[in-house]
Amino acid sequence: MSPIKNNIVLVILLFLAGISGSAQDLLQILEEERPEQLQYAEATFKTTRITFGHSVETRKKGILEVFVANRFWDSPAPRSQSFVADRLSTRFALEYALTDRLSAGLGGTTWDGLFDGFLKYRLIRQSAGKEGSPVGLTLFQNASYYSKGESDPAIADAFSDRLSFTTQALIASKVNRNFSLQLAPTYVHKGLSYYGEPNKDHFALGVGARYKLGQHLSVVSEYYWLLNPVESPSTYGPFSIGVNWELGDVMLQFMLTNAVNMVEEAFITGTRNNFNFRSPNLNFGFNFAYVIHFKRNLRN
Amino acid sequence: MNKFIILVCFILCTGYHVVAQKIIARQGRVAFFSYTPVENIKAENNQVLSIIDLSNGSIAVSMLMNAFIFEKALMREHFNESYVESDLYPKATFVGEILDFDPLLRGEQTRIIKGNFTMHDVSTALEIKTKIDYIDSSYEVSGSFEAMVNDYEIKIPPLLAGNIAKVITVDFRFEYEPYQE
Repeated sequence: MSPIKNNIVLVILLFLAGISGSAQDLLQILEEERPEQLQYAEATFKTTRITFGHSVETRKKGILEVFVANRFWDSPAPRSQSFVADRLSTRFALEYALTDRLSAGLGGTTWDGLFDGFLKYRLIRQSAGKEGSPVGLTLFQNASYYSKGESDPAIADAFSDRLSFTTQALIASKVNRNFSLQLAPTYVHKGLSYYGEPNKDHFALGVGARYKLGQHLSVVSEYYWLLNPVESPSTYGPFSIGVNWELGDVMLQFMLTNAVNMVEEAFITGTRNNFNFRSPNLNFGFNFAYVIHFKRNLRN
Repeated sequence: MNKFIILVCFILCTGYHVVAQKIIARQGRVAFFSYTPVENIKAENNQVLSIIDLSNGSIAVSMLMNAFIFEKALMREHFNESYVESDLYPKATFVGEILDFDPLLRGEQTRIIKGNFTMHDVSTALEIKTKIDYIDSSYEVSGSFEAMVNDYEIKIPPLLAGNIAKVITVDFRFEYEPYQE
């Protein structure tokens, strides 16, 4: 072939190659056109609590969570006249998401007479891809007021003495789509001290995890290890194992635990029983959260 | 002979320019609706990408599932986490062809788009009646179709079956502009 004919063939080949490709090639173009966006790991936990302790999750802006937590347990008496369970404690709370990152809550507990308020701020969100943070970080601060009367005159019980504070850094990672792990370095300042316990400041490390059994069901467990537990009366680290179940706007949590209390400082430093199946050590816990959306995202 | 080659090149190039032109929509809107007596669910995605090759009428659409905005924030989480599993299947795509498409016809034309819609890793063949509007220099494509939830292997727990319709109505609307390679 002459060079000229070669050129013609080349031109025709180029033209043929240049003709629009298949629809699959079009899809390829679209992938290249898509703007790069950092994706975040969603739903490390489904609820704002793992069991008794807070999880890294905060609700989206404008969501009010009506949160009712219950603990049922038996008194150690060999014979009991109560129906189902001897004792019941309930914490009623309203928890509102001011922004996607900041939540605030107010609650009151029947059994231990604690009134509590908290602020929770989601500082770092875990990214879903390789770039960005591999963990999520949420800061938690609460204050609680002990409202019950104190008969012992030796105990200082002015208003300020009745306040306790808990500060937590909740660090969690959605390891894979089913398994999430959380570490919670915790500082507790206790208000009232009993039995001459000199120490009012306590440090603890919380460990929590969830494993998804299905689309809506997960098994969860939590434990707080205390570096300097309250010595008198002797206390134990709170442990729980349970199931979280979400049903549309309702979240249900069922758990077995040794912790009676539901406010952070109380269950972290004040759990008097170890985890076993003897009364009154074993508590059955049932948390109910109902989510109300005050913000509608679509206009029309 | 050289002149001939130049002429051929010229014709091919100009022809190429007219025929192989592509148009793209970067902010296409796809919305879906589920109506049940229990609750109505509506979601909207305004960042859907679509491209049409005017030379042969082939069309492609691609959307990110987690870009859908729901009326309630929690619905979005459930949609991504429990139903379409957008961590595993982040995209829904459509590839197909506009049948009997005349890119030069001004005004409105109604055409069938035939192709495959892929979501949740399941492909189904669809034929969608579509309105194509060619005004000034831009094309607008809109229409709607119905999708069966069952077809896409999306599991809905029996307790929530009453909340989610079996047939989902999908509306779409794309405005295209010329695509520069």
